[in-house]
Amino acid sequence: MSSGSPDPDVSTRDATGSHAAATGRHPAAPRTGVSRGELAMVVLLGALGLYLLLDAANIAIPGSSNTIGPRFFPYLVGAVVLATALALGFRVLRGDRGPSDDSEDIDPDAPTSWGAVGIIAVAFLGHALLINVVGWPLAVTLMFALVAWALGARGVVRPLLAGGVLSVVVWIVFVKALGVALPGGVLLELATSWF
Amino acid sequence: MGAFTDLLGGFADALTPVNLLFALLGVLLGTAVGVLPGIGPAMTVALLLPVTYTLEPTAAFIMFAGIYYGGMYGGSTTSILLNTPGESSSIMTALEGNKMAKAGRGAAALATAALGSFVAGTIATLLLALVAPTVVDLVIGITPADYFALAVLAFVAVATVLGSSPLRGLASLGVGLYLGLVGTDVLTGQERFTLGIPQLADGIDVVVVAVALFAVGESLHVASRLRRGPVQVMAASGPWFTRRDLRRSVGPWLRGTALGFPLGALPAGGAEIPTFLSYATERRLTKHPEEFGRGAIEGVAGPEAANNAAAAGVLVPLLTLGLPTSATAAIILVAFQGYGIQPGPTLLSTESTLVWTLIASLLIGNLMLLVLNLPLARVWVQLLRVPRPYLYAGILLFASLGCYAVNADPLDLVLLLVIGLLGFAMRRYGWPVAPAVIGLILGPVAETNLRRALAISSGDLGVLVDTWFSRIVLGLALLALVLPIALRAVRGRRATPEELQAGEGLRHSERGHRETVGAPPGEGDER
Repeated sequence: MSSGSPDPDVSTRDATGSHAAATGRHPAAPRTGVSRGELAMVVLLGALGLYLLLDAANIAIPGSSNTIGPRFFPYLVGAVVLATALALGFRVLRGDRGPSDDSEDIDPDAPTSWGAVGIIAVAFLGHALLINVVGWPLAVTLMFALVAWALGARGVVRPLLAGGVLSVVVWIVFVKALGVALPGGVLLELATSWF
Repeated sequence: MGAFTDLLGGFADALTPVNLLFALLGVLLGTAVGVLPGIGPAMTVALLLPVTYTLEPTAAFIMFAGIYYGGMYGGSTTSILLNTPGESSSIMTALEGNKMAKAGRGAAALATAALGSFVAGTIATLLLALVAPTVVDLVIGITPADYFALAVLAFVAVATVLGSSPLRGLASLGVGLYLGLVGTDVLTGQERFTLGIPQLADGIDVVVVAVALFAVGESLHVASRLRRGPVQVMAASGPWFTRRDLRRSVGPWLRGTALGFPLGALPAGGAEIPTFLSYATERRLTKHPEEFGRGAIEGVAGPEAANNAAAAGVLVPLLTLGLPTSATAAIILVAFQGYGIQPGPTLLSTESTLVWTLIASLLIGNLMLLVLNLPLARVWVQLLRVPRPYLYAGILLFASLGCYAVNADPLDLVLLLVIGLLGFAMRRYGWPVAPAVIGLILGPVAETNLRRALAISSGDLGVLVDTWFSRIVLGLALLALVLPIALRAVRGRRATPEELQAGEGLRHSERGHRETVGAPPGEGDER
């Protein structure tokens, strides 16, 4: 924020990731020790490496091929992934942390809002399943409104209205003008059939 | 001058009403997505991939190029007027640009950024026109083994140089390579890693992965730690660009271009390192050292020029070798493949009209951007005020549109969410996203060349180091892998942008380029 701290760049930056751990200027942020999330990422990466190596052995090799077949590159990638996972796991266990990615809209001091993430993920999944039932505009309007609410938009009417108008305009532009295939739902397709 | 007449021919083709319209559309879209936080040119081009299948190639690439250049212009507005850290390539602009805006010199900061982007973009695009035929002459006899070596260099350089942690970059690259392997092997027709799901037999669509990693991952990441409350945009106020500002900006513009173009053209491309180096150079050369940290115009002019020159530099390996070194370039490569065009040494002869029209329209688009950005800066600033709940809801709406449009299959949207959650986790734990996109797109190309090389040699791995070209390139790749780690061990951690602003990082950058190559700008440190 432009008001407040005299040197906002420095203060926000110091609060992110391992830099804070290094300087120790932000004792409020407990950012030392082994991070469970980091460790989970490493385990997943290691699992991916193992999967690549094991499943590559199941790739069928056509009898005719006399040089390297479809297995060689997967083995190579699997080995690189596994080696990276081992090296990264070693670093993470020694307390190394990756700095969280910056964005203009991210408050590095804010606690993680898992609720918002969860609502958005569920809303997105829901709209994916609804598209072929009620059409893209309606499904995406509901998703839009839920996401806006999760991120702090006020009221009921405005998010729904904004999402509704945007989705219908976008649908008309892309479907009627650019010929993209998107189910419009019974009502909208009837209303625009004269186009 | 062969290049000169070719370029004139390109202008003749680019100056048709339809092509001008697509250039204008591209730069408008590009500036808009550059200004808006949370969405960038890579994602925009990815979203437009399915839409342009109905478009003829020239028009599509003119629009993509406009988006690419426009994103660079728009990003500077955001970094100067929003007092928060943003994209890595504009972070150096933000250091002094913020301070200038706060001191009531926002208008001058925006002007030097726009003019510097124009100067650098024009010079660098002309250099691209000049250099591309020469590079093609050099690499025309390139073997599959040489190409594989180049791909390896691009992988290693992108993974270790972008972002703050080489190992996390490699991890991200590995994820991208895996996603690229899923599907049917083109040479033998065997299914690989499809888990028996029929939709995966065609492979995972690039649009799905790119939109998921960029749009969905970014939206979820922002949602997890959204900066609440009204958006604070600083005013683009103060006296406009004065003659004194011009005198102080010209040097940084030219030096920024000189740093940005060659470094962008290297396989370790991207705009982060040149902007970092440009800032360090200007801080050392300035006659007004007392102003650095309080809003020195040189600190905006140099990095912003370097940023745009690097964007043009990235096009050199893309057009001459088919080697993408940034996320946007990788998506543009996919667009080429969608049209059945394989960028590479032969592109300039087989698709010469397309290439020269593209280069000419880059110059035209650059001029359009200057006209759009100098007087209209205040209009673009209004975009910064979009309430964030609606901005991110809108980004997800467009993600849904672009992704569903590929195959009209809801399963793609579920995949989008799953890979989006992965992108969220990657951002949260500092895994850079770009290596995954480049691994996904360049991985299959690398594999094809590797297998072609080994088929020629009947399986003898020695073929990979048969030519001097591949030996040198693989040597460079090894250097790019080992050097960052070795340097970190010897010299300790690198300077952060803030330390550089305070002058503490200068000691490092004086020791030469490799140092900062191994120590990218950005955030945090590794001990």
